Amino acid sequence: MEGTAISIRNLVKSYGDPGRELLVLDRISFDVAISSLVTIVGPSGSGKSTLLNVLAGLEAFKSGSVEIYSNNSSSKLGYVFQSPRLLPWLNIEDNLMFVRPEHVDKALHKERTQRYLKMVGLKNVGHKYPHQLSGGMQQRVGIARGLCVEPTVLLMDEPFSHLDEITAEQMRAELLRIWQETKRTIIFITHDMQEAVQLGDRLIMLDYHGHIFEDIKIDLPRPRDFTERAFVDFYADVVRRFHQMQARRTEEIGESEIGVTN
Amino acid sequence: MSLVADTSVPASPSTWAGQLAESLRGVFLHRRWITFLVIGVVWQVTAMIANIGLFPTPATVIAVSWQYVITGLFFSELGISMIRIILGFSAALLLGTIVGILMGSWRFWDEFFQDFVILGLSMPALIYALLCVMVFGLGLTAPVMAIILGAYPFVAVNIREGVKSIDKELLDMSHVYAVDRWRLVRQLILPSLLPFILAAIRVGFTVAWKISVLTEVFGGDSGIGYQIRVDFASFKMRGVLAWGILFGMVMLTIEYGLLLPAERHFARWRAKVKEVI
Amino acid sequence: MEAMIATPMSTPLGWSSRLGQFLKRFIFSPRWLAILVALVIWQLYADYRDTRLIPAPSRVFTELYGIVASGLFFTELAASMYRIVVGFGVALLVGLLVGILMGSRDSWNDYLKDLVTFGLAMPGLIYALVAVLFFGLSLWAPVTAILATSYPFVAVNIREGVKAISKELLDMGRVYQVKRSKVVLQIILPSLLPFVLAGFRLGFAIAWKVSTLVEVFGAVNGIGWQIRGSFDEFSVHGMLAWALLFGLVMLFIEYGLLLPIERYFGRWRPKVKQVM
Repeated sequence: MEGTAISIRNLVKSYGDPGRELLVLDRISFDVAISSLVTIVGPSGSGKSTLLNVLAGLEAFKSGSVEIYSNNSSSKLGYVFQSPRLLPWLNIEDNLMFVRPEHVDKALHKERTQRYLKMVGLKNVGHKYPHQLSGGMQQRVGIARGLCVEPTVLLMDEPFSHLDEITAEQMRAELLRIWQETKRTIIFITHDMQEAVQLGDRLIMLDYHGHIFEDIKIDLPRPRDFTERAFVDFYADVVRRFHQMQARRTEEIGESEIGVTN
Repeated sequence: MSLVADTSVPASPSTWAGQLAESLRGVFLHRRWITFLVIGVVWQVTAMIANIGLFPTPATVIAVSWQYVITGLFFSELGISMIRIILGFSAALLLGTIVGILMGSWRFWDEFFQDFVILGLSMPALIYALLCVMVFGLGLTAPVMAIILGAYPFVAVNIREGVKSIDKELLDMSHVYAVDRWRLVRQLILPSLLPFILAAIRVGFTVAWKISVLTEVFGGDSGIGYQIRVDFASFKMRGVLAWGILFGMVMLTIEYGLLLPAERHFARWRAKVKEVI
Repeated sequence: MEAMIATPMSTPLGWSSRLGQFLKRFIFSPRWLAILVALVIWQLYADYRDTRLIPAPSRVFTELYGIVASGLFFTELAASMYRIVVGFGVALLVGLLVGILMGSRDSWNDYLKDLVTFGLAMPGLIYALVAVLFFGLSLWAPVTAILATSYPFVAVNIREGVKAISKELLDMGRVYQVKRSKVVLQIILPSLLPFVLAGFRLGFAIAWKVSTLVEVFGAVNGIGWQIRGSFDEFSVHGMLAWALLFGLVMLFIEYGLLLPIERYFGRWRPKVKQVM
């Protein structure tokens, strides 16, 4: 399909023995347009990380299909994890060289490495080792790594959740800037509603059953902040819908065991 | 492509009896019996086929072991050896604890004893055994001295670790609340040290019996080591193997049936206790 | 033995200058004091007691010097080293294989666990004696004895190493479709390296000891044979001389070989306080 980066159809994923299965993803279907930034939210246990793992090929799924269209990109996927996952015994530059796709020429990849390190604000750390960098810097290296393979889709699994709020805020702004500059397709998972609404131009909300509960387009201009009325209203609406979903769940279980998410 | 599931390890039982029960349950693990069977068969077959005459079959070794047990020889010799081991080990424990406490508490003593301990750890038990036999001759002094020399470094190192790991923050807190000396020792220091003391005992014991056997081999007129030498001198390999296996089994039972469970029981709150020295 | 612990030197004599620090650490340190005390006690004891049994330090050192100067030390060392290298080489391979198997699958762990425990617990003496009885003076004796006693140490450490390989890093490699050889070379091997070194260290120390035992019972050269000779001749000063030489070789291997290797491969690590 024109303009689609990744297409997911009727994705089903479950755990456990037949007969006693836990359904984690229940016929998930959506397409992601090229250069869009999709945020996926859901409560813990709603299967959002599982979804990402399935897209990344780390987990098998029961039925359905996942199609990643190659376009002009060098590789299909980039992945930014919650923790940086850098090889501690290689310096930063070698860490980025480690993920060079087979068909990409070494010199070309090296040039990309340097370009993206510069883009995330880490121009001169190539020779340093991970332990010499702060958590935020390591995470930025992770982002540079995801970018330097020039993927069709960049998957991001709650990349800022382990950082302190101040650093996380900076990183969000950085991410938006990088996204606008590179026009990469990004799928961003988070449990933080605020973050999801701030970043995405489309928000997908998963519920406790592994369904897509909401799929909302966010047309608001960026930067989005809470001093603007339009944004506050929009955000309030999203939170309201989220609570609706939680309420439904409470009815089903018959007790309130759900922790506060936001 | 599937993600490997995280097999969660069941929590290990916290009582000593529970630990023992778990060890026993482990004994009946089917895979290890397969290994035993395979080893036994291979041994038996090679010994028979190769027919070198010198290498005994498992059956022969078992028969000889049985002989030693039935005639009571094993038990009398074991008793003699155990006396030496216990004496030497206790002395080594005492010396090692003192040195360990000194090393753990003051930097001066740490550096003072450093080389002796390292030397002691790396010297083979053989040297201690031979030296002590030469200097002290037959009798009780030789094995006891050899054990002291060879085992005290292992004890010292463990006690040192224990002393260094006593939580300074808890000590400070006790100071603020002016907790009296005796209570401090009884309720803070000893419990903190206990797992390390047990580890020291186990490691010390392991080293002690190995050294003791060596002294008996070279300069004994009784004991397990002496019996081993007698059989060795008469080229009676079945005898050497029999003594080795019998004695080894007793020692392993003490280590894995007594010392290790005790250590695990008292060290519940620590990370895994490693079975290697 | 470097004490990399940084503490401010605030002593009353104002040793805070660099020269002062150097003096304090290398000349006036408690370690020299300890050696001095040991030598003094030794000398006194030797004078006080029957000198035939307890030789004076000077006698031992003279003997030691003689052994080295005459070249005897080096020929015997070479003979022993040959046995140890061959024996431990085999033990290393077997240990690696067993360790990798045990670390990768629980089933292998169950099968092989007892073989390893047995090897760890049995005294080297028995292996040495049996090996000598069976193989006599040939090279097979020390090799089998070393193999039996050392491989468990290597195996246990490798097993821990295999279990410790970071699944997170492996997953990352999978997502980025890094090719197999790169994953092995750049994730698996570097992860295993510290465990290989630990196993090597322990295993090698044991190999030394067992090999010496074998030489005591059945050899015509080597350090163990020399030690046996001293024992038979009732020469305490001889044995002490050889024992000290033995210790020196072990120290040399540890500080001249293993530690530098460890440091070279550990360059990427953050510097941590060195203990002992």
